Amino acid sequence: MPERASQRKDSAQSSRFGAWLDHHGYSIVASLGRLLRKPWATLLTVGVMGLALALPLGLWLLLGNLARIGGEVEASRDVAVFLKPAVDDARAQAVATALSARADVGAVQLVTRDQALEQLRTRPDMAAAIDALGVDDARAALPTVLRVRPRGDERLLADSLRALPEAERVQHDLVWRERLDAWLRFGGRVVLVLATLLGLGALLVVGNTVRLDIQSRRDEISVLQLLGARDGFVRRPFLYLGAWYGLASGALALAALTGAWAGLRQPLADLATRYGSAFALRGLDPVQALLVLAIAGVLGWLGAGVVTGHYLRQTRPTET
Amino acid sequence: MTVLRFDNVSKQYPGGHVALGDVSFAVDAGEMLFVTGHSGAGKSTLLKLIQLAERPSRGAVLVSERNLAKVRGGRVADHRRNVGVVYQNHQLLMDRSVAENVALPLILRGIRRGEISKRVRVMLDKLGLGERGHSLPSQLSAGEQQRVGIARAVIAEPLLLVADEPTGNLDPTLSAEIMALFAALPERGTSVLVASHDLGLVKRMKKRVLVLDHGRLADDIKPEELADA
Repeated sequence: MPERASQRKDSAQSSRFGAWLDHHGYSIVASLGRLLRKPWATLLTVGVMGLALALPLGLWLLLGNLARIGGEVEASRDVAVFLKPAVDDARAQAVATALSARADVGAVQLVTRDQALEQLRTRPDMAAAIDALGVDDARAALPTVLRVRPRGDERLLADSLRALPEAERVQHDLVWRERLDAWLRFGGRVVLVLATLLGLGALLVVGNTVRLDIQSRRDEISVLQLLGARDGFVRRPFLYLGAWYGLASGALALAALTGAWAGLRQPLADLATRYGSAFALRGLDPVQALLVLAIAGVLGWLGAGVVTGHYLRQTRPTET
Repeated sequence: MTVLRFDNVSKQYPGGHVALGDVSFAVDAGEMLFVTGHSGAGKSTLLKLIQLAERPSRGAVLVSERNLAKVRGGRVADHRRNVGVVYQNHQLLMDRSVAENVALPLILRGIRRGEISKRVRVMLDKLGLGERGHSLPSQLSAGEQQRVGIARAVIAEPLLLVADEPTGNLDPTLSAEIMALFAALPERGTSVLVASHDLGLVKRMKKRVLVLDHGRLADDIKPEELADA
């Protein structure tokens, strides 16, 4: 007998789980159906939410690309030491070797006049100029350069390099880089603030849409509650409705950004080529795109959850 | 066994209106009774207290000896599953089929899908709606809609069925049909409490009658006293 009772209990539990799954399935399909039955209203809501998501996302992408430029600058944080014309290659090599041995120097690259000339020749616009000037004159006009990679405080290193008797000029773009970093940090904060505000806006938009849907189904909700539906049962279709709105908005934001990326990529690549750079505008990778969809879906779910929870609290039995 | 008991129950709404004042009565298992009174006498409030749509201001409402004052949170839904409700305006979900409407209480109880289909079919056949399972409520007559409402209220075999003016919009023949359905329920162990202001109908049924007047229980008439009246 206890065995039979236990089997009955298991069966009841599995049946309850099956009913729970059934209702999830029903809620997913029914909420999608509600969206599709009102295409214009859905499009407007999704449009507003999608743009609200696309704006901070677009700024974030822009900053990511700027940071890449900054990264390239960071990678070339070398201090350039232009040696006096009188310093020959052998002396330059000796200075480079001496610098390499220092603790505050990571690496030293010597670029002789010949090497600089070869590098210039690789640029089509310069080759003709070198030929016109003559190789010897062109060579004489070029400086010998030591590219010193700092290890530690690059400002101190630059100061000490200025004191070298062989150094004519020391070039160090620290200030410019620090400014760029500061702008990037500020931009990052702006994106964060915008994303928070516009994310909140998206949450309110979906919340208001779900609130209107709840208002139009008050009688149905009331009947379900009086039949003994728990809050979860009543809430579920609205949560899925919010999630659908979020997912659709996320997809729209991705589509808008992909369109913008496709439109800007080629002109920017052409522009970069003019400056001798291979810089290419980078969009979202598949993982990031999925993440955007997930966040948008969760935003919609949360908006619907807040509004539905508020409504359900109002429908509790009153006490006086 | 007592299924429902009101112990000195009063209900005062915000604003001061006293809907029920010091009402006490008890309903036994398998008993059918009527609550009658003029409009505003407190019939609907009494039903709301039983469904836990409202809570009393004073006194206690007990269902199966359980004080509803102690029923909170998710237990409110559990309580409501044990009370079937029939409304005057049917309160059917108009975008769901007849069968889906009737199945709702079973879905809420987590009954397996196959079992639900079987029980819904049997119930619809019993109420003469066997061919109407796939219809939408809007495609049914008022009498058929009321029968769907009753099917939904009783399919999960609740302890107690409360009906608020269930024949309010129906002609006398349909009203008699619906009452016959209610009268058959106590044989299956379900107690039935019907709120109605139709005194003719109430007298014809020859059941116990609670008479409310301005929120007070003015009379508690036994069936045999009604026959003499």
